[in-house]
Amino acid sequence: MGGFPSEFELSTDARDHLIDAFQKFVLGLILTFTLFPIFMMIATSLKSESELYRDGLHLLPSTLNVQNYVDMWARFDLVGFFLNSLIIAGTTTVICLTVGSLAAYAFSRYEFPGKGLFGLTILSTQMIPGVLILIPIFILYITVQREFGVPMINTYHGIIFIYSTFTVPFAIWMLRGYFDTIPAALEDAARIDGCTRLQALYRIVLPLAMPGIAATGMFVFIIAFNEVLFASAFANDGVTPFAIGIQKFQTSTGTHWTEMMAAATVSSVPLLLIFGLFQKQIVSGLTAGSVKQ
Amino acid sequence: MSASIEQFTQSLRERMTVPSLGLDDDSRFAYWLLLPSIAMMALIHFIPMVWGFVISFMEVNDSTFIDWMSAPISPLKQYGAIFQPDTAVGAEFWSSLVETFLFAFGTTIGVYVLGLTTALLLNKSFRGKFTARTLVLIPYFAPAVATIYIWRMMFTADTGVVNELLVWLGVINSTDEVFWLIGNNALISMIVVNIWKNFPFAAIMLYAGLQSIPEQLYEAASIDGASRWATFRYVTLPQLKPVTAVIILLMIVWSFINFTIPYLLLDKNPENGEVLMLFIYNFAFQNGDYSLGAALSIILLVISMVISYGYYRATMQSSVQGGAV
Repeated sequence: MGGFPSEFELSTDARDHLIDAFQKFVLGLILTFTLFPIFMMIATSLKSESELYRDGLHLLPSTLNVQNYVDMWARFDLVGFFLNSLIIAGTTTVICLTVGSLAAYAFSRYEFPGKGLFGLTILSTQMIPGVLILIPIFILYITVQREFGVPMINTYHGIIFIYSTFTVPFAIWMLRGYFDTIPAALEDAARIDGCTRLQALYRIVLPLAMPGIAATGMFVFIIAFNEVLFASAFANDGVTPFAIGIQKFQTSTGTHWTEMMAAATVSSVPLLLIFGLFQKQIVSGLTAGSVKQ
Repeated sequence: MSASIEQFTQSLRERMTVPSLGLDDDSRFAYWLLLPSIAMMALIHFIPMVWGFVISFMEVNDSTFIDWMSAPISPLKQYGAIFQPDTAVGAEFWSSLVETFLFAFGTTIGVYVLGLTTALLLNKSFRGKFTARTLVLIPYFAPAVATIYIWRMMFTADTGVVNELLVWLGVINSTDEVFWLIGNNALISMIVVNIWKNFPFAAIMLYAGLQSIPEQLYEAASIDGASRWATFRYVTLPQLKPVTAVIILLMIVWSFINFTIPYLLLDKNPENGEVLMLFIYNFAFQNGDYSLGAALSIILLVISMVISYGYYRATMQSSVQGGAV
């Protein structure tokens, strides 16, 4: 009698081990798929061009060749592209968070006529194809330049205004989820103590929502850093961002893959570093908007 | 110092007489907070959208666009051309539309299945879980332009690692290189890249969804003697429905209007698989026919809205209502 249950337990145990091993295997496959392109980027950046074009499968560079990391700076003004991206994406983030947190707060805390319509408006902005509004915005900017003498095209403020607006709906959605998690009782107490509504917002709510605001800011920064369509029309000459600049490694005579991958590696480092540092806030910020606890 | 500023703003507020419009204080305060974002969206989203709608009924092109108001009005010229199979645009419109649908649905299914699998695997405790969760998110945070170019390099026919791997595995012969970025294969490549880029987003949303499922539900299922599959089918999946609704809606709409992936992956080559965004870009900017581009964009916008609305009605209204973008 005693042997039967233990045998039974052993077999479920073995089954659990098998399932566990299978799950680890699948996770391993997913991680391979995830990281393989990143590996290829770094590996290619360390190859010479002749090695890249050699036949057959050879993933790792035969000798570590750091020449690409030296040459890429000389070929184009990468530092300039990168600085432009930082200025554009950084300012966009600040403006978007300021405007977005005000709206998100109203949306989280107050009932007002037209609230549902505002929600739908935010949702509908996400469906507008960029090519539809690009020409009208271009005409708008040209008109402003002509009538008011304010340069708009190929200026920092011109592209920053576009990006700030593009990212505001997403920021409102994320921040609203964050504000929802902060108990309204705190503001009520502050109001009783004599704070105005606005003071309650910036003295009580905003400090508490800082992790969510930081996470939202990271997303806004990434969106602004990666935009291509509007950048190609509105940010050339002195304000060319990295997303447009890196395309210049594609020349009429071919693509300089090894140098391009070196540039891609260098550009990934700051973004991945920020992400690594704020991972926890980013993950909870991303999910706060959609998952009600 | 700050006290005097507050006194000043207080007295300013008392002197300002804002018309009440029959609204209570809370509503008026809420409108003030919303004002900047509404103004920005009006300038950059909605006025240009209406403007684009108007342009789609005119003949605005390279030579007339600065003085667009005096461009000829021809109400149905663009839309007529799109729906007639014997015009340059009409001949390819339907195949491009089908391509766009395949791109959106292929991406959505792939992102959801891979995202859910990843979320379920991460939802257990094991050593290195935090590392695994961090690594999975990398595609979403690495600069998109850089990563799309990596894929483009990997898909290149003669030197790309995808073909080299396939030869090494014995799937293809070293002389029959597959052209991944041309024709029907281009669609597959675009879907793979889009899945790679976006599945971490789905994974992390679903992971948070899994974490928020009350433990009692699993205990109840276990007391009832439910199998692993039954627990998943009748406890986990229904609980994930709100998150699922948001992910699927976002993936479909984002794929529909995705420009960066097709543009950077396939370049402007018209022989490549053309989703509508690329198709529109070519007509509007390569050929300079802005009205035609606007008309095509309006059609794309209407399709996105119809799908979203239908989906919104069909699934959890409460989860999408109001805030979710």
